[in-house]
Amino acid sequence: MASNIQYPENSCVWFIEGDNFVLLTNVNSSGNLNTTERKNWKAIQEAVTDGILIKYYSEPEAVSSINDVPDIDNSLHLALVDYVKKCLYMDKAGTALDPNQSMVSSNASMMHRQKWDEAVKRFGMKKRDKVGGARVMNVPDFR
Amino acid sequence: MSVRTITVKEIISRVRQVFPDAPEKYIMSLINDALVELGMYNSKVSTAKLSTTANQMYYSLKDAAKDSSNNILEVNKVFKVYFMDDNGDYMQIPRLVDTNVILTDATSESNLNIPDSN
Repeated sequence: MASNIQYPENSCVWFIEGDNFVLLTNVNSSGNLNTTERKNWKAIQEAVTDGILIKYYSEPEAVSSINDVPDIDNSLHLALVDYVKKCLYMDKAGTALDPNQSMVSSNASMMHRQKWDEAVKRFGMKKRDKVGGARVMNVPDFR
Repeated sequence: MSVRTITVKEIISRVRQVFPDAPEKYIMSLINDALVELGMYNSKVSTAKLSTTANQMYYSLKDAAKDSSNNILEVNKVFKVYFMDDNGDYMQIPRLVDTNVILTDATSESNLNIPDSN
């Protein structure tokens, strides 16, 4: 079912407040502009099935079986191994009775943490970004 | 041409090269922790449709919020919104950056958090 709003790009606005998506319109349920200048923007006055389409960054699906493939780009799959090892080495460092072994495990944990941070935070977007070519045009100044 | 991916089983076998006794369930929960952390870095783009309700201004995007097909949204950041026009086409609508300047009738809020009573 289509809405009664002819030009949503002019009559609807959105913003996020906390965990809520807020939709405002300046038209009534018939799609005519609200005549009151005050209280011009209001909640939408009509029920529209599938009226809003949102595009968003979402959380990857959780894995539940050993045959699952992680729901992320394959360039980031190996980083998961580093994350798991980082945690397991830190567990080992915390439970080891020998201080030397604890130190070695702690260092190994730090190494895997650095690899994880590098893969995800530093180069994560670059690795999976599908945009090719130049990112910035730096035009030389010939003056 | 096949795409090289690794399964949870392969991740577990790589981890068990150094931690042979690591429990499978624990490794899987760590993988899920990692996936939640990855979600903070714009790793997955999704689209969803929501239905509007007359006089409802606020639509929940909490972790358990669902779209109009009853799928869990799992929204981290919304970056584009479209609204269906009178022809049934989706037109992109603008995001309001400064939410303080408009004259808004906010009496129709129905999804606000209400403080605890005691």
